Amino acid sequence: MTPQDSNLQERCGTLIAWGAAGSVTMAFLWLLGDLLWHGLSHISWTFLVSAPRNAGREGGIGPILVSTGLIVGICMAVAFPIGLGTAIFLAEYTRDDRPMGRLLRGSLDVLAGVPSIVFGLFGNALFCQALGLGFSIASGGLTLACMVLPILIRTTEEGFRAIPLDQRLSAAALGLSRQTTVWAILLPAAIPGLLVGSILGLGRAFAETAALIFTSGYVDRMPESLMDSGRALSVHIYDLAMNVAGGNPNAYATAVVLVGLLVLINLLASWIAERWTTANHLPA
Amino acid sequence: MSEPTKMATVQRPVAVFLRCLLCVGALLGQFSAEAKEGKLVITGSSTMAPLVLEMGKRFESLHPGTRIDVQTGGSSRGIADAVNGLADIGMASRALQSQEGNLHGFVIAYDGITIILHDSNPIQELTDDQIKGIYSGIITNWKTVGGLDAPITVVNKAEGRSTLALFLHYFTLSNRDIKAHVVIGDNEQGIKTVAGNPHAIGYVSIGTARYDATYGVPIRLLPLRNIPATLETVREGTFPLSRPLTLVTKTEPTGLANTFIEFARSPATHDLILQHYFVPLAD
Repeated sequence: MTPQDSNLQERCGTLIAWGAAGSVTMAFLWLLGDLLWHGLSHISWTFLVSAPRNAGREGGIGPILVSTGLIVGICMAVAFPIGLGTAIFLAEYTRDDRPMGRLLRGSLDVLAGVPSIVFGLFGNALFCQALGLGFSIASGGLTLACMVLPILIRTTEEGFRAIPLDQRLSAAALGLSRQTTVWAILLPAAIPGLLVGSILGLGRAFAETAALIFTSGYVDRMPESLMDSGRALSVHIYDLAMNVAGGNPNAYATAVVLVGLLVLINLLASWIAERWTTANHLPA
Repeated sequence: MSEPTKMATVQRPVAVFLRCLLCVGALLGQFSAEAKEGKLVITGSSTMAPLVLEMGKRFESLHPGTRIDVQTGGSSRGIADAVNGLADIGMASRALQSQEGNLHGFVIAYDGITIILHDSNPIQELTDDQIKGIYSGIITNWKTVGGLDAPITVVNKAEGRSTLALFLHYFTLSNRDIKAHVVIGDNEQGIKTVAGNPHAIGYVSIGTARYDATYGVPIRLLPLRNIPATLETVREGTFPLSRPLTLVTKTEPTGLANTFIEFARSPATHDLILQHYFVPLAD
């Protein structure tokens, strides 16, 4: 192989890598550009606060934003304590080779891979019908909680595992009980993992359509209680784009709002993670 | 010495968590207790859901204190929910079948599709096979079906429209078979495309096409199997490419369900039906 050949190979490799990276960026920019181009002109303060009229072709998304907030709120309120507890159990109370830990990890992996429409049908059967919550924000939030648990638990568990063993040994040497060690020493150190996990879960919850259409439902009225049915942003986009003739402009505008929220959540996640990591490296 | 601090650190999060759980439980309990009188749950056809949702809003404003909750999921689901009692009323964008004879069906409007050509196109009628040939790209010139020597512009609907689904079902085509030159979204766009191109063929909702043709838009609605595409033939159920939009109940409707069904079938909702490009019942 001559030096020229290897030079050519080198260049081809560079070109392919750049091309791949470029096409990913292009796809993202195209999507974002298309959304902004079609949707941005319809967004105004009135659009964000007023109720949809004429099947969503006119009016805004006020009640839909409120419903989405409530659904995601319930989801996090339920998933957070259960997720934290399970993560602590996995990281601190069981070993990888114990049957209980393996069973838990296995079920989490399966849960993480289950398509969201399956969660929707499960949520409809369990919360809406068996537990009698009906089509309601509560049903939707609980279904989403089941869906975000795997990602929340795994990220939080990683947060605990990242803490050096020394800290646990030092705590034991000082005669601290296991509970005190977990709550007073390990938990504060694991908070970045917990926050990032919550925010990733939050992002997934915000973007969900299939799990919600059969649980929190389709009603686009301002919710009066958690037992009311309420339409989520993504369900609204789906309905406007697929079922309502002339619904496209408002579907685009709603999509801009949703993508804006998701970008905001992701920025927040990376900002918090970065800040906490820098803070942790400083001597306490 | 560190004993009190330790107790506090250990107990606080647990106590907070338990208190949160109690609060959530209490809230849920309270909310379920105030379940509303005068609430109707309607589920089913995604084609009908936007229309019935708007009907529900108007009904609520006319009957204060009532609530109409509309959920989607498809016609089969609407019928299933009406049967097992999950819904007070089901929505089905088709006629009830014979084995569903024990259910009660109430047609509130019709959905019909018509083939449209430009007004200057001399073709007065096409057979089902000719239309199928044109849409699957076998016939590409109007001369083949007895018209001018000009290439045919095929206008198709975008994926996901119920009009497309009904069209494909009737002509036993799959969307991949269709060789379209223009893909359109809503009815108005389809009518504008055909009105602006003398050699185009398209299909749209009959309600919209009739309305526009009456107001001077240069399109012609073709008959299907010799049956003219009019609101009357759609209402009679004789026009082949049409389907009734039906509200379904398990038993003879009474009370609020009955009032709502009567309202949905009354002229008070005709403007809403037209806004959704469906054909209202006769006055």
